[in-house]
Amino acid sequence: MIGPSRVAELDLPASGIETGAGRPAQSYWNESWERLRANRIGMIAGILILVFAVIAVMAPLFSAVLTHYQPQTIDLSATFRPPVSPHFLGTDELGRDTLTRLIWGARVTLGVALLTVAVSLTVGTAVGMLAGYYGGWLDDVLMRLVDTVLAIPAIFLFILMSILFRPTPVSLALIIASVGWGQVARLVRGEVLSVKQRDFILATRSIGARHLRLMLRHLLPNVLPVLIVAASLGVGQIILIEAALDFLGLGIQPPTASWGNMLTNAESYFFHSVWLVYFPGVMIFVTVLASNVFGNAIRDAFDPRLK
Amino acid sequence: MLAKYVARRFFASIVVVLGVTLITLVLMDRTRGTYVPGIDLNPSLRPDDIARLRADLGLDRPFYVWYLTWIWGVLHGDFGRSMIDGSTVMSHILDRLPNTLELTGTAILIGVVIAIPVGVVGALRRGSKTDHTMTVVSVAGVAVPQFWMGLILILIFSVTLEQRGLPWLPSSGAYSAVNGGDFFDRLEHLILPATVLSFFYTSTWSRFIRSSMLEVLSQDYIRTARAKGMSERRVVYLHGLRNALIPLVTLIGLELPGLVSGGLVVEVVFGWPGIGKLAFERALQYDYTTVMGVTFFATMLVIAGNLLADLLYGVLDPRIRYT
Repeated sequence: MIGPSRVAELDLPASGIETGAGRPAQSYWNESWERLRANRIGMIAGILILVFAVIAVMAPLFSAVLTHYQPQTIDLSATFRPPVSPHFLGTDELGRDTLTRLIWGARVTLGVALLTVAVSLTVGTAVGMLAGYYGGWLDDVLMRLVDTVLAIPAIFLFILMSILFRPTPVSLALIIASVGWGQVARLVRGEVLSVKQRDFILATRSIGARHLRLMLRHLLPNVLPVLIVAASLGVGQIILIEAALDFLGLGIQPPTASWGNMLTNAESYFFHSVWLVYFPGVMIFVTVLASNVFGNAIRDAFDPRLK
Repeated sequence: MLAKYVARRFFASIVVVLGVTLITLVLMDRTRGTYVPGIDLNPSLRPDDIARLRADLGLDRPFYVWYLTWIWGVLHGDFGRSMIDGSTVMSHILDRLPNTLELTGTAILIGVVIAIPVGVVGALRRGSKTDHTMTVVSVAGVAVPQFWMGLILILIFSVTLEQRGLPWLPSSGAYSAVNGGDFFDRLEHLILPATVLSFFYTSTWSRFIRSSMLEVLSQDYIRTARAKGMSERRVVYLHGLRNALIPLVTLIGLELPGLVSGGLVVEVVFGWPGIGKLAFERALQYDYTTVMGVTFFATMLVIAGNLLADLLYGVLDPRIRYT
């Protein structure tokens, strides 16, 4: 996927050692970063996400300076305007500016995705670490819990929970994370099981390191690559789930704009305002695409074995 | 050995099943007792009428009684009655199941039939233009929101074609309400939703088969087969593909629950009267018993699917030992 440049990259340290000069030994992180940087498509995808994130963070600025509309401003004299100036991407059934709503929608989408990842990783790592490190009955109990959570078809769980807990961006993230942590826990546990067999753990323990120190200072850094890969590959999935729940009316509630709920009534617009159907979908598609491509690049960079 | 493995898995499954029902129930219990389904349809009900209604539906009993009653019923094959219309949950499920199986079964079949050749060609011509094109398509296929793709297909093949006076495809339902229901009528309705679903399956599985095939082709026994002068065709299809397909079994086994739940969003978009749509609609109406029944049913499929995939895996690959 990356092409010959990466092979050359990997060869360099070896030739450097032969001549005795050249580059000093690289740390794992440096090496991974070099590999990531060499992946042109991956970097483009990463930069695209960064741009979206900046736009999302600065949404108030954009709607004040660029579009001159607020996402919730209703103008019944300007409904279903086609995408021409001053409404660059048209207006919806209440005369709200589509571009402004898309920009504010990015806040919701990326915010929910970020929070979901953060929660899944934290909970999943803690559970996986405890299960893998202590083993025994704790392992059995925790892993049966993970099995249980992962056995319920996720979409049903999401539907149930979003009916019971009124969805806000935060609760929606928690709802999606309530399944996501299970997969992370499995990954982390597997990794911990293999790392804790290594000699350095034995050595550290024999000089008197306590459990907590072993877990946080010695096991966690070794699990980090797996976590980074899991996080970056999960973002796309999360965005798709969030958009689907919004679309079904179970996620972010109107009038708050999200890419998914902008499509909820899309069928009603087929006959006169097709752009209302196009733009939010394209945004979801591009964002998920970029996340997946960047996620793959991260995986290739941090874990060359997996390629 | 195998019997022991199956037994152990079976007991682990029971724990999971109990856990699943408990989680579902706790979620249900959060709203149980605060709302009687359909109460807002009749504003003239007096408070004691509401209390009687709740007693009828068993909402006044403590939640462990409710749970044990429900579990007892499930053990006897009785999923209870819907809180909305009073017919049994089982009859609802059986009513919708054929439609769902028709849709997801078709999609999975199309997915497998397309994904295998695409994956094999991608692996054999690694790095070629064909490979790159197929990679791009499948990467896009995983990233496109299913509901949006459904909308776009409806826009193109139902709305636009009809506006132009061309033959168009129906956008909603599994058959026509009037004079419908024969084979071609159902087929016509199936095309769009099955396309959306199978596009997703094809994208995922073709990538999977490609990498699996690449891995197999680099094995020693493939080199041996080539070295002893076996024709390339035989090497690829007899020794390569057969082994490369083994992981696909797991993948499809894991997709078994998707037979019921995987098409939920697509069913909603296309108004397909399947189980996913049933669960979705009933959940919005606070019909706990129906939702719990469907969730339980789907979870059983997950567990069965996982077990089946594991066992089939061992049949196909004798190197795998169950412990």
